[in-house]
Amino acid sequence: MPENNELRIGVYTCYCGGNISDVVDCERVAKTLIEFPNVVVSRTDMSMCSDAGQSMIEADIREKGINRVVIGACAPSLHEQTFRGTVTRAGLNPYLYHHVGLREQDSWVHHCDCEGATCKAMRLMLAGVAKARHLDPLEPIRLAAEKHALVIGGGVAGLRSALDIARRGLNVTLIEKSPFLGGRMAQLETLFPTGEDARTGLHGLIQKVIQHPKITLFTQAQLVKMAGYVGDYQVTIEQQSRGVHVEIAEAALTANLPEVPDEFNYGLTRRKIIYRAYPGCYPSTPAVDWKNYNGEPLVINGQPTVLYNEPKTFDLTVGAIVVATGFKPYEPRQGEYGYGEIPEVVTLPQLIRHLALLGDGKPLTWNDHPVRDVALIHCVGSREIEGVHPPHEDGEVNNYCSRVCCTATLHMANELHERFPHLNLYDLYEDIRTYGHGHEQYYRDALENTTRFLRFHGDDRPEVVAAEPGDTHPVLVRINDHLTWGEAMEVPVDLVVLAVGFMPRDVSDLIKLLKISAGTDRFLLERHPKLQPVETAVPGVVLAGTAQGPMTVQESCAAASAAAAKVSSLLGQGQVELEPFVAKVDLEKCDGTGTCMEVCQYEDAIHLETVLIAGQEVRRAVVTPANCSGCGGCVSACPNRAIDVQGWTLTQYEAMIDAFALEPAELVEVMA
Amino acid sequence: MATIPEAQRPKILILATLSGGYAGADSVGQLHTDYPTNTYILPVICPCMFPEEFYLRTFEQGIDGILVMYSGTDSPYRGGPERAAKLINQTYPLMKARGLDTRRLKLTAICTVCTKPFLKEVQQMEALLEGIGYAKAEIAAYAGKENMAN
Repeated sequence: MPENNELRIGVYTCYCGGNISDVVDCERVAKTLIEFPNVVVSRTDMSMCSDAGQSMIEADIREKGINRVVIGACAPSLHEQTFRGTVTRAGLNPYLYHHVGLREQDSWVHHCDCEGATCKAMRLMLAGVAKARHLDPLEPIRLAAEKHALVIGGGVAGLRSALDIARRGLNVTLIEKSPFLGGRMAQLETLFPTGEDARTGLHGLIQKVIQHPKITLFTQAQLVKMAGYVGDYQVTIEQQSRGVHVEIAEAALTANLPEVPDEFNYGLTRRKIIYRAYPGCYPSTPAVDWKNYNGEPLVINGQPTVLYNEPKTFDLTVGAIVVATGFKPYEPRQGEYGYGEIPEVVTLPQLIRHLALLGDGKPLTWNDHPVRDVALIHCVGSREIEGVHPPHEDGEVNNYCSRVCCTATLHMANELHERFPHLNLYDLYEDIRTYGHGHEQYYRDALENTTRFLRFHGDDRPEVVAAEPGDTHPVLVRINDHLTWGEAMEVPVDLVVLAVGFMPRDVSDLIKLLKISAGTDRFLLERHPKLQPVETAVPGVVLAGTAQGPMTVQESCAAASAAAAKVSSLLGQGQVELEPFVAKVDLEKCDGTGTCMEVCQYEDAIHLETVLIAGQEVRRAVVTPANCSGCGGCVSACPNRAIDVQGWTLTQYEAMIDAFALEPAELVEVMA
Repeated sequence: MATIPEAQRPKILILATLSGGYAGADSVGQLHTDYPTNTYILPVICPCMFPEEFYLRTFEQGIDGILVMYSGTDSPYRGGPERAAKLINQTYPLMKARGLDTRRLKLTAICTVCTKPFLKEVQQMEALLEGIGYAKAEIAAYAGKENMAN
């Protein structure tokens, strides 16, 4: 067993069933490594992650007193956790182990150079050993966690998240900024690919949410303040008054009140300033549109009535926050494809509402004129090209694909064909991206339905113009059809439908409050699109649904459930466990200049404190681990190298670089 | 003492962020695409942790080219990419002062699936180092000239 804190390093080189050993001479690697200081054992195994391989490592730790472990195997993302478990079972701190990727970054990329790959494996393993010499035992950061989550947004993603979290036994507070639940899904009619009625599904979900005893719901409410850290966020919510007492609700709806464009129908109709979003909405009590109410008395039940908005605030402590703030459909610019100038140019969301208002069994009309020919144009407000398309108000172009609109457009084409079989449909597309399971069928159905497809290029989009007086159709669509090698075509139509993309909502206040980030597409940014797809860089703040990017209802629900699973696993034990890779100050080296605080972008992550050193009161930097992201910005700023990221220190990096650069004899000298 | 019988070639260090270049390098591996063996990849949380002296020391120890593969504007760390870029920009004049070709240090955005850009960056650095040779030799030659001048 080790004496006097002697370093005893175990080095393990995995064959990975031939994935590594077919290229790398693992035995030579093992033999070379054993010659370096403090390496006590150096072994190989056909599969280090197998029970036998792990048992071998455990036995070495117990019997040979190994107190640092270096394993060269597949990518750390695959088995780092496995081996942390291995060393922990043998009684060693899990952070006294270092994983070296020998497969993805060596054998699989150097199969034509076995000797070179073997030498590189030696260097990589040596670097592992060099780092292991500087590893310190670390403990995960454990924080008491409030078993309560805040869900921001009462659309389908927020509702789904809230319900999933509550079903796992946690309390949930759900806040919705608007007066009614349901979000964008309430404005849809049928969903693809199930064909299910959107509001029936939504209302089922709303009923489950409102009946769940662990969910508290606030409409017209928003987050206005946040402090604290994961497990213990102190939040302040502000809620607007509903403005209408339930007893005068019906009278208020029938009163003669000022009207404004109805956003539920995308401005196709008007509504009163005391309103319900749609029949059957929840809550059913009408709400006052405070933005459009000027404070003048309104005559309700024959009585002049002045309405007062008296917002109230309340504080909560929550362990985690789900951001489900949704999206907004792209609103074309004035004149874009004739939008706003030619009355027969509408957006796809507007057409969905128009068909809902039209009802079944009636012929399709627009502005009281019969519709016979319809053009559907894809990629409006999506896949824009910088330099070709003018930037939006924020100076950006929407260069992303909104993903959902291709299938949504084809779904609409098929619905139009089914309801109005005599319509002539023209589908003008850049690419057809029906990526989801079963979505391609909509394209096939549209082909069979004799929808005519015309293809344009991103930098050569169609042109929509008003027809000359006396023409048979009110609108003319001009396109260079790249299915017929760019042939210029003119399509006279009665209605042009713009398949508009998804836009991020303006949640800049929330971004500032929660300290989260938006990506280059301005949607909220996850920590990693594949490995941590719902987490943000702020521990305990997760994303759900279209706040993160374009998604179908199905995908939104899946993302919301993933967010709920993340929150539940985080708070379920009443204790949050975080990786210990956060900044740590060496109080001996720190001279309290506060340079680290100046560069730190995270609120309350570092502060100066008066401490007693050698009997003297001095100012020193102190890290609040729960607020530190571990980015290391403070490390490069400190003039004294007094601050480092635990587990990723500059000294460890320098040791690894020495292992790559120096001759073995020089390295041994450095190690000594 | 053990020896490592590797071919004498300039060495490239790749500092790759876990949320970008490191996962990108794993993706390259999954494609079984070939690139030279004189490349050594280290995972980093965010390159904003490395001060200017870190890069200088790395060259002085015998690394000949450094590629910093970060996540660019997609970095989850607030202010991290900007700070990393600033530190690298501040390193260039210090490199010049030691006679080091500043092209030896490059910051580049590589995402988890950027396999082609990853390979392109490695190939370009490889080609550059073939032309300009070892960093240590460059430092020594410059120091020699300075001594002569003095």
